[in-house]
Amino acid sequence: MNPHVLEAMSHGGKYLNSEKIENSSRRSFLKVASLATGGLAIGVSLPSFASNEITSDNGDFNPNGYIHLYENGDLVLYCGRCEMGQGISTALPGAVADEMEADWSHVTVKQGEGNRDKYGPQATGGSASIRVMLEPMRKAGATAKLMLIAAGAKVWKTSAENCYAENHFVINKINGQKLSYGELATLAANSPVPENPTLKSKDQFRYIGKALDRHDQGMVVVGERTYGVDTKVPGLKYAAIVHCPVLGGKLKSLDKTAALAVKGVSHVVEIERLNVPYGSVGGVAVVANNTWTAQQAAKKLVIEWDAGANKVYNTNTYKKQLVKNVEKPAELVLERGDLASAFESASQKVSATYTGGHLCHAPMEPNASVVWVQKDSCEVWASTQSPEDIQKVLAGFLKREPKDIKVNVMMAGGAFGRKFKCDYVHEAAAISQAVNAPIQLIWSREEDMKTGYYHSISAQHIEASLDDKGNVTGWLHRAAFPAIASLFDPSLDRAPASSLGDINNHPFGIENFRSETGEAPTHTRIGWYRAVYAIFYGFAFGTFADELAHKAGKDSLTFLNQIYDANTNPEQQEQVQRSKAVLALAAEKAGFGKKLPAGEAIGIAVHHSFHSYVAMAVHVKVDGDNIKVLNVDCAIDCGQVLNTDGATAQMEGAVVMGMSLSLYTEITFKDGAVVNSNYHDYPVLRINEMPNVNVHIIDSDKPATGLGEPGVSPFAPALSNAIFAASGKRYRDLPIKPLSV
Amino acid sequence: MTNTIKINDKTFDIDVPDDMPLLWFLRDHLEYTGTKFGCGAGLCGACTVHVDGQATRSCVLPVSSLVGKSITTIEGLSKDGDHPLQKAWLENNVPQCGYCQAGQIMNAASLLKNNAAPSDDEIDAAMQGNICRCGTYQRIKKAIKSVAYDLAKEV
Repeated sequence: MNPHVLEAMSHGGKYLNSEKIENSSRRSFLKVASLATGGLAIGVSLPSFASNEITSDNGDFNPNGYIHLYENGDLVLYCGRCEMGQGISTALPGAVADEMEADWSHVTVKQGEGNRDKYGPQATGGSASIRVMLEPMRKAGATAKLMLIAAGAKVWKTSAENCYAENHFVINKINGQKLSYGELATLAANSPVPENPTLKSKDQFRYIGKALDRHDQGMVVVGERTYGVDTKVPGLKYAAIVHCPVLGGKLKSLDKTAALAVKGVSHVVEIERLNVPYGSVGGVAVVANNTWTAQQAAKKLVIEWDAGANKVYNTNTYKKQLVKNVEKPAELVLERGDLASAFESASQKVSATYTGGHLCHAPMEPNASVVWVQKDSCEVWASTQSPEDIQKVLAGFLKREPKDIKVNVMMAGGAFGRKFKCDYVHEAAAISQAVNAPIQLIWSREEDMKTGYYHSISAQHIEASLDDKGNVTGWLHRAAFPAIASLFDPSLDRAPASSLGDINNHPFGIENFRSETGEAPTHTRIGWYRAVYAIFYGFAFGTFADELAHKAGKDSLTFLNQIYDANTNPEQQEQVQRSKAVLALAAEKAGFGKKLPAGEAIGIAVHHSFHSYVAMAVHVKVDGDNIKVLNVDCAIDCGQVLNTDGATAQMEGAVVMGMSLSLYTEITFKDGAVVNSNYHDYPVLRINEMPNVNVHIIDSDKPATGLGEPGVSPFAPALSNAIFAASGKRYRDLPIKPLSV
Repeated sequence: MTNTIKINDKTFDIDVPDDMPLLWFLRDHLEYTGTKFGCGAGLCGACTVHVDGQATRSCVLPVSSLVGKSITTIEGLSKDGDHPLQKAWLENNVPQCGYCQAGQIMNAASLLKNNAAPSDDEIDAAMQGNICRCGTYQRIKKAIKSVAYDLAKEV
């Protein structure tokens, strides 16, 4: 076999200098190499992503170094997806280790740098990482195991059938001898690469489907886990920024005298709006010898802004207009059956309008990065959900190639969708270029809240007809909200039809149906927020179903089962069955229907989003305006579960985020600018209101799907339904207890 | 004479602007980055450290006001990461993103020092100032209670 020189394994460079490929299977999705220091490296090509088919004229290729096994037995597993607390850097490496029969205590997980060719798509969102990456990762682990077994068989001069792997050892069945993975690592790199390794069956799993400890929590509890905000490089200068408060506004005048007079301040840099979806809105930055000085000097900038056309934006009036726009005919999106006849022959007609405000992600770590733009290089250290987008945006801004932007992906201190956008990285690059030094830009919390990519403000109006048996015969669903699509096409005056897909495809069985999209021009930047449109779709469907149940004189659980059972579409039967199953489990665990003291009740709701199914039963105690959530039973079906503890944690977190947005969080715009500024006027849930959360996982062999987002949406409707059952008061506008800012 | 401050049993000169909060003295001057910036206004608790043993928000506390004081940060809470709360945090798999957890642990350590067996309400009252956006509150509470239970048994 011809040796090929490896080019792209500089990653993890202290181990890997100039490895030569000893063995490869060009047609395989796996790439195998030996390590310079001895050992085995295995990478994965994801067949579904064309750019990852790595070939070149001279026969070189870049193996994606996901798995590095060293002669001392150390196993380094790289995670190409971004970690923000959702646990992906434990879940995926855990699956590799399982298939590989590796001992988790020998595993070190490292975060892959921004490199789509090596790692496949790294943009981390849409609860997609597990759905997309699990199978290739399992195959890589299984391949490594078979190669280690083959190496052991070679040593013992026996066949592979006479050997098996267990917990970092290969064992000879005939004589009981054992060889460690470390001892076999280099030899294994020369083993033939199996084309289609058999994956483990469920009963053979060591880590998958179990509670696996996060690989990095030991560092967290001693303060050694470093985030984007923690990067330090030699010669670092610190920056703070003040943004243009209204989208599309311009700098009218700037007096920087007082800011420059502050001791320690070196520069004031104007940053122009970069008119691409993930670019800066424009602002003025101060550079100093520490963040505090930069932040204080930024307060001394005297700036006048020309607000521009979006100064007309006032959310209080805008929300009222959205309501008007959905309470009258709007633009048709989809029609099924004969809605007019259904409405005409109805025994009862029910209608309601649901609204919600803008949300700001407000992760605990504000936007932060270090960028060093030099003549021939650009290096970034950033908390990010999408290194590829940083490469694209900076390449465009600096007029360089994306591959020349090196992105070190840092742990994000929470993200929830915000750090998919890299306006803050673009700003640090602009400052670095202007002052010719590495720059750490950390946004203040105030800038974080005032310069977001907000969850859409929304209104939905539903009208439905019931027959005399309480069956839903017709459903009209109008939605109006500024869509994420407006970020890419600001001329949109309403959500495009594609944004209403989850209305059209909802698994309720409704024969006569019509959806419409109402006028909703955009005046700010709209972005993905954990659970995205499922937040308000889940709220409207889940709450309206409960309202219908009461009108039909049935309990919610019976009514929901009935409306799912009415679905005759063969393509939706799986959705129907899985929705009903989680609903039944949540209801049973919560004791739905049991007698409760006066003022207490349980509300239920279920929502299918991001390919997963979540139902919640929320038990509340209501006393006047005082709403106390006592208990939440949460049932999930996300197919095969990788890490039961991680899944449970995601649901606990989803309850907290669902409760924050149900009760408190809302971003208000006045004259085009955000009014909220910090956690006092954008209050989020605190520990004293934390309910008891019980998570119940459906045992499933279906393909694994994600859980980062699906848990958020059922909370608000379940809460609203519980409050109604306890008090007779129906909440249709979120948040329930807004601050008047 | 130079003004000094003791941080994790080491003495440092205070040679920064008088109004610089302890947080930025730690993070940018000493490069102790375990203590986090979250809000800059004492609203979220991410920056919590101990000043003479008491949990304090370092983002609103000028370092010049701490001459002669003894500060403990998450890096100095225990020698080998073996404070009972650090162990309990691992035992209960508390962290998600982990960004707020240094502040949570420092605040909880101060609570247990003053009250070895806090009730649920006392835990709520003491920990209310620490926000976790990932939503790890249930596990934080459980971890604190597990330590409180052990401490109470010793008394």
